[in-house]
Amino acid sequence: MMSAHGPDHHGGDDKGWADSKAFRRGFLAVLILVALIAAALGFIPAFQKEHPHFDVEKIPVFFALYGFVMFALIVLIGQHLRKIVGRDERYYDERE
Amino acid sequence: MTSASSLISVLFANPAVILFVGAALAALFPDSRAGLRRPLMLVFIFFSGSQLYRLGLGEYGALSLFGESLVTLRVDRLARIFATVFHIAAALNIVYAWNERDRAQTFASLAYPAAALGGVLAGDLITLFIWWEIAAITSVFLVWAPGTRATFLSGMRYLAIQILSGVLLLAGIALIWGETGSLAFSEIGLRDPSGAVKLSGLVLLLAFGIKAAFPLLHNWVQDAYPKSTISGTIVLSIFTTKLAVYSLARAFPGTEELIYIGVVMTFFPIFFALIENDLRKVLCYSINNQVGFMVCAIGLGAINGAAGYAFGNIIFEGLLFMALSAVMYRTGTSKATELGGIYKTMPLTMIMCVVGALSISAFPGTLGFVTKGLIIDGAAEQHLFFVWLALLFASAGVLEHAGIKIPYFTFFAHDSGKRPKEAPWHMQAAMAISAILCIGVGFYPDPLYALMPDPAAMADYHPYSLYHIAEQAQLLLWAVLAFALLVVFKLYPAEVPSTNLDTDWLYRVPGRAILRWAAGVTGVLWDYCWKLYTERVDVFRSRIYAVHGPEGRLARSWPIGSMALWTAVVLGAVLAIAFFG
Repeated sequence: MMSAHGPDHHGGDDKGWADSKAFRRGFLAVLILVALIAAALGFIPAFQKEHPHFDVEKIPVFFALYGFVMFALIVLIGQHLRKIVGRDERYYDERE
Repeated sequence: MTSASSLISVLFANPAVILFVGAALAALFPDSRAGLRRPLMLVFIFFSGSQLYRLGLGEYGALSLFGESLVTLRVDRLARIFATVFHIAAALNIVYAWNERDRAQTFASLAYPAAALGGVLAGDLITLFIWWEIAAITSVFLVWAPGTRATFLSGMRYLAIQILSGVLLLAGIALIWGETGSLAFSEIGLRDPSGAVKLSGLVLLLAFGIKAAFPLLHNWVQDAYPKSTISGTIVLSIFTTKLAVYSLARAFPGTEELIYIGVVMTFFPIFFALIENDLRKVLCYSINNQVGFMVCAIGLGAINGAAGYAFGNIIFEGLLFMALSAVMYRTGTSKATELGGIYKTMPLTMIMCVVGALSISAFPGTLGFVTKGLIIDGAAEQHLFFVWLALLFASAGVLEHAGIKIPYFTFFAHDSGKRPKEAPWHMQAAMAISAILCIGVGFYPDPLYALMPDPAAMADYHPYSLYHIAEQAQLLLWAVLAFALLVVFKLYPAEVPSTNLDTDWLYRVPGRAILRWAAGVTGVLWDYCWKLYTERVDVFRSRIYAVHGPEGRLARSWPIGSMALWTAVVLGAVLAIAFFG
């Protein structure tokens, strides 16, 4: 059996680089910037499909909209599944 | 009949047999020499791989069994790409668990890939069946490896389902043989030329579908895989489902039903993965979702897409499993609620996990990007608008649970206060090689494209066309932006420790209750029948005893007087009969 954990646990108040406000703000800013650039690319003819298969592909920001909306829907709607199938962590331990 | 010597030469020319022998030899090493097992296994993987390429494309290993000719070894382009990635994965897993000393687990971690390889290289259905069952039996040792009651029960459920798949495969083989008189493992299809569904095709599809974890048949994956050991889960995650993908690609290319089965497979795991707290289980749902893309590709007839994505998935999903398992090795948990902030002390593992996450999400420059596009383009080329939309939706879902949730909750999110050491060198080595493959093949996919089942169809496919990059960048970056905004506005749901019910609930709770009730009723009925029977026997015995026993009538000593009286009665009766008769 492999297991090697134990001596390395200690409470940590030490902030890492990813916990700093500056990093979080910077990350969000860069993300917004590259997302806007990606959306802008859709308006440049060189980045458009010559023979789109579907009409929606002609919308320059279709993929951006679709990605944003679908991701948000997955998270906002999907979490309610928990109410139907969620049980206590020891659910099966008590029954088997 | 084939003579013994030619049988041996047929067997040992087979790369799968070479691997299996390697596993068996390594297992023979005494525990005092356990350190030699894995180096020996690597040597055998090298032998097996070089044998695969030394043979080249063709059919070998012809055997005759009861007058039927078998092709035990077929290397064609479809088999070769799967066989190649199976070798890479087997070697990476051996390196990853370099210090693992457990004999059964070490044996299974090569014997099981050997069996999956044997199935991929099988040219006939009997050979496929034999390897199919060996894969089921060898892999269960990985589920049982932790040795607890929960893993024992889970392993039994796993074995029952795997054997059921094997029995269905055998039934399908018998039906096919009855219909066509052939045992060749080639395109079988679900329908006959008139368009009616063939029973043989249906049974075979079900057998493959169980192993591929089709919707509603999927839950053995989440039940069994996360219960295995640190390294066992990684080995399990790779082979069974991909052997099933290969088998579907071989027997059912272009079967329309598979498009929709695949779409459903990509869909529902997204929601279960979202609410799951155990990150190893999240990755198991991810297996369902990823195999869904492959099944859909097979239905579309995009066999290059299915095989290429299987190749890619084995590398990047394996990398995610490895990174998560390394954290579990150091912290003892894989639960999102107990992890977080690990990046501070395991930065290398974090980086490699992020590479795997970017790759499974198909960011440009990764292995996922150069393989997944083949499937989504396949749907577009056939003008299946809703299938295309569904696959894009599923891509956003992959980004959510595999691309973001795994690295975010493991390494960032809230600080768990755990400060584990960085992963040991052998785990880092296996992860680093996987990460290099993810990026290397991502930027230079030509060697992978040359390995595809239909290389001619790859000639006019250019993953790095400008519109591909723009589309994918939009889809993924805006989805990541949605995630960031949900977190900033505190709309992203917190993880909670829970058990989420899935289809296994049906046989673990009501199924179990029905079984126990049936067992109880049978017990009561049996007791009743037994009592009825024994009561009758007791009554009969006591009657005999009453008549013949020491106190019984027949055992009495009768007085002379009563004897004389009875003689007079009998004589009188005889006289009366003689007189009146």
